[in-house]
Amino acid sequence: MNKFILILSVFLTGLLLTGCTLGVENDERALTVYTDRHYDTDQELFDQFTEETGIAVNVVKAGSDELINRLRTEGADTAADVFIVADAGRLHQAKENDLLQAVESDVITANVPANYRDVDNQWFGLTVRARVIVFHPDRVSEDDLSTYEDLTDPKWNGRVVVRSSANIYNQSLIASFLSINGESATRSFIAGLVANFARTPEGNDRDQAKAVMAGLADVAIMNTYYMGKMANSSDPYEVEVANALRVFFPNQDTTGTHVNISGAAVTKHSDNVAEAVAFIEFLTSPTAQALFAEANYEYPVNPDVDAAELLESWGDFIAQDIPLTDLGTFAQEATILMDEEGWN
Amino acid sequence: MRMKRLLSKTPSGFTIITIVVAILILFPLSAMFGDILDAPSDTWVHIRTHLLPDYLGNTIILIVGTAVLAALLGFFSAYFVTFHDFPMRRFFSWALILPLALPSYIAAYVYADMFSYTGTFARALRLMGITQLVDVMSMAGAILIFGLTLYPYVYLMVKSSLQKQSRIYLDNARLLHAGPLKRLMRVIIPLTRPALIGGTLLVILETLNDYGVVRYFGVRVFSYAIFDAWFRLADVASAIRLSGLMLLLVFGIVAAEKLLRGRRRFQAALKSSSIRRMKLSVRSRTLVIGFLSLVLLFGFGIPVLEMIGNLFATWHVLLDVEWLYIIINTLTITIFASALIVFIALMTVNAMRLSKSRWAAVLLKITNLGYAIPGAVIAIAVLIFFVDLDRRLGPLYELFQNDGPALLLTTSLTMLVFAYCLRFIAIAYNSVDSTYEKIGMSYTEAAYTLGHGKWNTLWRIDLPLIRTGLISAFIIVFIDVLKELPLTLVLRPTNYDTVATRVFTYAGDEMIHEASGPSLVIILLSAMMIYYLTHMKRGGKHVS
Repeated sequence: MNKFILILSVFLTGLLLTGCTLGVENDERALTVYTDRHYDTDQELFDQFTEETGIAVNVVKAGSDELINRLRTEGADTAADVFIVADAGRLHQAKENDLLQAVESDVITANVPANYRDVDNQWFGLTVRARVIVFHPDRVSEDDLSTYEDLTDPKWNGRVVVRSSANIYNQSLIASFLSINGESATRSFIAGLVANFARTPEGNDRDQAKAVMAGLADVAIMNTYYMGKMANSSDPYEVEVANALRVFFPNQDTTGTHVNISGAAVTKHSDNVAEAVAFIEFLTSPTAQALFAEANYEYPVNPDVDAAELLESWGDFIAQDIPLTDLGTFAQEATILMDEEGWN
Repeated sequence: MRMKRLLSKTPSGFTIITIVVAILILFPLSAMFGDILDAPSDTWVHIRTHLLPDYLGNTIILIVGTAVLAALLGFFSAYFVTFHDFPMRRFFSWALILPLALPSYIAAYVYADMFSYTGTFARALRLMGITQLVDVMSMAGAILIFGLTLYPYVYLMVKSSLQKQSRIYLDNARLLHAGPLKRLMRVIIPLTRPALIGGTLLVILETLNDYGVVRYFGVRVFSYAIFDAWFRLADVASAIRLSGLMLLLVFGIVAAEKLLRGRRRFQAALKSSSIRRMKLSVRSRTLVIGFLSLVLLFGFGIPVLEMIGNLFATWHVLLDVEWLYIIINTLTITIFASALIVFIALMTVNAMRLSKSRWAAVLLKITNLGYAIPGAVIAIAVLIFFVDLDRRLGPLYELFQNDGPALLLTTSLTMLVFAYCLRFIAIAYNSVDSTYEKIGMSYTEAAYTLGHGKWNTLWRIDLPLIRTGLISAFIIVFIDVLKELPLTLVLRPTNYDTVATRVFTYAGDEMIHEASGPSLVIILLSAMMIYYLTHMKRGGKHVS
């Protein structure tokens, strides 16, 4: 009996200790960042910011939807000052949920072009990714490619791969179509695309490129970011794949290539607004943007900064001209359409 | 009668602890499931028409396939190791637990990578002139991966049950000239049935709960639908409704098993006469070793070797002093949480054994609910509960510290430990319970009759008898907590990293080769724990 009480009390003390020591961490100037980006480059930038300003950056990394949920639940008591997420739709959703606040900063306004920030200045783009067509030059000539819509043509029957509709990038792609072309055109686009699938969607973006390489399909819809990552992969065989395949920016003569952003926002209940703004100013500054571009193969939002050499080699492109907020507005409708048309 | 009094009168410490735990668990869950009865939303209609039929069918195929595969692998490996003598038996005896150390989602990534165009396997085939690709990203692939990585649940429970098996039954069967097959079918399987079912149930729950593998493979099952509803359709209510349905499915499986088992209960009179191991002919010996090696190779050896290969190109990810803290963090919280969970399970099992009342059964159901609910759903339930708790405790915090953080518990590790408990009590319960079922009530009752108190009896009589069961419960929980991802990601304090969250950092970015390093750390820690616990000297006697 006594031994049990002993064990029990050890447990409870342990619980209390772990509970308390971690709860009361009172750094003088500190920022708390909720982010769904989990890249080593981001951490590097955070450290650099701390070095330059003396403001510590505390980080919580988790999925975007979980973080939005967490912000909602914590409400006014949240420790979060900055919210970073790799999808404009989610930024819009956070804004709609009244989780963000408007920020006036001439520095940010100068760093981020208008189309990559919220109309009410509640969120700001950090990096851009394009969803492009990747093809094998032996089997497809660049002249055969034109638009996303063209992939629904019967000539592509059994030659197209793309990952599952559960993926956020596809959801945003279809949301952008809804914004530009309206429901019925989008619906027939999805149906036509699904009819041309080489296989039931599986795997991630890199797996789509590998499927093209293996000859399971001839074209893949995927993200530029992953082409960049593959070309610089630690796996030499992935590098081979990336070098063998070509990138095509669709819809250049029509509606533009679909792009999405990673963006940052100051949370509504932040206690450190000034620091949070300084943080976003830093992340959009040329130095930070150069690191995003070079190390993470994303297009910088700051027009003064060049993209990585590899990305430059794919050439310039025209992006869709829609407010990125639409990616959030139409996200749910996009999901429903994809389900109804059988995009697994 | 003193014994009778002990069994029925005032609630024991066990019961009180169980009640407290059940209430604590019930709070967040009831808040979550509270609005399940509300009118369904439009998205629910959409889910029901477009997603549910497919998902339900696929789920059933997946869990039946996985359960059968894991039960076969787990049972036969335990049977061979316990009743037969062959070279390397001791090695297999503990090594067969190792696949548990390999998180299913990691195994999925590694196998998919190996079989992909750039993977080791596909390249080897191409060298031989075969360009055909094997697609592991399919239902069959998912079943194989779950079966191979989860069978140790069955193996552990069946083995500990077999070791407690009295020899008498087998000797009698042998005297009656029952052949090996007949002994297996008529004696061993019925006797180990609770363990076999218990282990298989864990496999099923674990499979139902997985999201990583099925999502990557594009196998559309229930957990997929839950996340779809929640994330893509932004409809938390529907996600919870789906979790509710999944719970019903689980209860259905449990009830079906109870019904099948009927009123039969098998309690072997415990006499720890050691098992006499059968010598095998050279041919059967080769077969047995071949079978066990294949299981171990595919469930552990091949993916681990592949990851070690990957590590050569990516070792820099482990080259950071931070790793020291991460490993200390991980071990501290994992050991603490696992011990706490096994302790609670022990209390619950005892509360159940000693009172046969119906509401004790209800309590038990509550404490075990968490395992059937997807981690991400639990995470939100726990978060809501803790934020609410912190707000209520606010005035208390003010007493100690003016202007301190408002969400004290929410930003501490308490929340995460609580969530681990909620999620994993069921597994610990299952293994502790099946051990107790084996020893039966007679020793405990005898101790009560002799005037020993409940705690005293637990400490001096029960614990020595169920020690192996407790240890396997601890191993399973430890490894589960170590691998756990959705709860850890969402509920951890700021700047808090565990090995699993490090794996996610890379795996989430499709960098499977970089994820190999951290994954190997998980595997190494688990393997060390398995080795230590299976080789611990007990009373100077080496355990086999």
